[in-house]
Amino acid sequence: MSTRKFPPWLLLLLPAFIIILAVVAIPLIFSLYSSFTPYHLTRPETLWKWTGSFNYIKAATDVNFWKAFGRTVLLLTVALNLEMLLGLGLALMVSKVTHGQRALRTAMMFPMMFSPILVGFQFKFIFNDNVGLVNNALQSLGLTDVAIPWLVDANLAMFAIIFAEVWTSTSVFAILILAGLFALPQDPLEAAKVDGCTPWQSFRFVTLPFLMPFIYIAMAIRSLDVARAYDIVQVMTNGGPARRTELLWTLIGRTGYVDARMGYANAMGYIAILMSIGFTVYFFLKLQSARRELGMGG
Amino acid sequence: MKGRVASSVLALAAGLGFATAALADGEFAGVTIEAKLIGGQQYEALYARIADWEKATGAKVNIISQKNHFELDKEYKADIAAGTTNWCVGSNHSSFAPQYPALFTDLTALIPAESIAGFVPANITAATIDGKLTMLPRAQFDVSALYYQKSLYTDPAKAEAFKAKFGYDLAVPETWDQFRDQAMFFAAPPNMYGTQYAGKDEAINGRFYELVVANGGKMFNDDFTPAFNSPAGKEALQWFVDLYKAGAVPPGTTNYLWDDLGNGFASGTIALNLDWPGWSGFFNDPAASKVSGNVGVAPAPKGSAGVRTGWSGFHGFSVTEGCATKEAAASLVDFLTNEDSQKLESAAGPLPSRTAVWEYVLEQAKGDAYKSEVLAAFQETAKTAFPVPPTPYWIEAGNLIFPELQAAILGDKTVDQALEDASAAVDDLMKENGVY
Repeated sequence: MSTRKFPPWLLLLLPAFIIILAVVAIPLIFSLYSSFTPYHLTRPETLWKWTGSFNYIKAATDVNFWKAFGRTVLLLTVALNLEMLLGLGLALMVSKVTHGQRALRTAMMFPMMFSPILVGFQFKFIFNDNVGLVNNALQSLGLTDVAIPWLVDANLAMFAIIFAEVWTSTSVFAILILAGLFALPQDPLEAAKVDGCTPWQSFRFVTLPFLMPFIYIAMAIRSLDVARAYDIVQVMTNGGPARRTELLWTLIGRTGYVDARMGYANAMGYIAILMSIGFTVYFFLKLQSARRELGMGG
Repeated sequence: MKGRVASSVLALAAGLGFATAALADGEFAGVTIEAKLIGGQQYEALYARIADWEKATGAKVNIISQKNHFELDKEYKADIAAGTTNWCVGSNHSSFAPQYPALFTDLTALIPAESIAGFVPANITAATIDGKLTMLPRAQFDVSALYYQKSLYTDPAKAEAFKAKFGYDLAVPETWDQFRDQAMFFAAPPNMYGTQYAGKDEAINGRFYELVVANGGKMFNDDFTPAFNSPAGKEALQWFVDLYKAGAVPPGTTNYLWDDLGNGFASGTIALNLDWPGWSGFFNDPAASKVSGNVGVAPAPKGSAGVRTGWSGFHGFSVTEGCATKEAAASLVDFLTNEDSQKLESAAGPLPSRTAVWEYVLEQAKGDAYKSEVLAAFQETAKTAFPVPPTPYWIEAGNLIFPELQAAILGDKTVDQALEDASAAVDDLMKENGVY
């Protein structure tokens, strides 16, 4: 009797393969398949009805889908840039602190410790038009005598959501950039000083190029986070009113789980993933070129 | 308030003695019923009765899920998708029930006819979908009546100013047109608003739906083609738009849901408020409400067709088709909705769905002027109440309609354009699903 032996590398990797297959590959293939069907959760038989690219064409020709897509890109662009600028400023200031820097770094991370759902509720209350803190403060200070509809007005509602996103995640940038500042070699900075560079020139031509790889890493991580923004928006506005704050994932979540149209939701999800991949590839390429500029290869 | 409710429930429990004689001793010994029930403090008093049923029948009840209806709805859909529907008893709601045509069994053959005959007939009709009695209603019947601040109607200066402006006497509104006039008249933003309305999700669809009906229209034709893009529908939507444009409602109202409305009226900043019976105690509780002692309750106003608004719904219990012990499950459902159970639940405020229990609560309320006023207003409104259209696509269609209603309210679209877009979207949905 001969026993067939698997090579040790295969045996060692087998558990990882099985787990990845079970929790990633099979659900992914299944959801991809279902995006070509009219799969409705309450009518399981619809899973076996092949409708080809119907869902994709429906999404691609739906103006509300593309508006949500555009809004998600807008949120991503504005939130990421604001978080980067504020995070950079915060990191530069904290790096200059000589006493109590550890305590400051810990305090800086507080917003990240809150659940996004709770952050959503917190800002929903703060921006409430009737009993919210912002309106009450503005009215008490005599700055306005009207109830500003923060979560209703098209621009203000997006502002409120971006504000909540920035509040909760600026510290991601700050922490990563701070790590970059700590690793910054002092020689080039001293050389710049000797050569008569102004502080701004030192920052612009020495510090910033060195920090760029750290910034792009933070951008790549946060772009994935923001592109799948759901929790804060769901709580604050649920994509409304009148779809004014509808983002891809509030639309997809409602279509899949409330309307139970899982096939269509999956098709929209796959189109949305293309956007995330696009942003990730873009930041990765920027990271590589930033590293090349620093002579770090890549 | 909770303390008072609890003590009254206990007193009632002691008084009733909770007869379980109708159940045969040990009839279902050894049977275990798995149940998914709506969760929340206000429902616990009824669930405490389950022990009595277990004792009488010898069966056991294993509650495997307790969530609100929105979460249960998602869980039921996931169960249907996964084929895990062999649990037995589930909480159900008349607004959600049409979505699960195959999940729950027909109770007609499982429940004694005399028990079914004891329910308000309109409730049984609403619980019957495609000829199947899909649930038995519990004492959680919901329809909205008009709450108002009484002091606004006793001020001679206001009465005079109102008459001068609108040409008729200021009195509690009986029509939605009068309601609109008065809401605009009482509004003094940002400290006082004439009214408010739920502005999103199924909540605004329900309000729009009942106003369409009150104006003589309907949401769907008999073949379920959309019918709300009609003069009645336009008149209904215009009502929401007018109030918003006039600043008679809080500017954030399109984000409001039931809790926002309840807390808003209790804060004393809202003159007129169409709301559910469950808030009546809260509004008149001095510890919770600034308008306690100043709350009037009247039947819901009528639309231009002379029909009273009356979008209604109720909670109930259903038995799954996949349940292996349907008789035992049906016995539990019957027990949880019988007269004793409904008397217990309605003691805390919710409206019953059994005729005999309606008479009982009215009798009990004698001597309590506020409670009598509340019950009279809701009873009158309940007489002409109507459930949501019996289509599995009510929620789904609603998710296409409400953003368009909001768009008209906020001025992004005209009333005509919004209803045309909503109607086209619902038409696509129905066609795509092979409804016609």
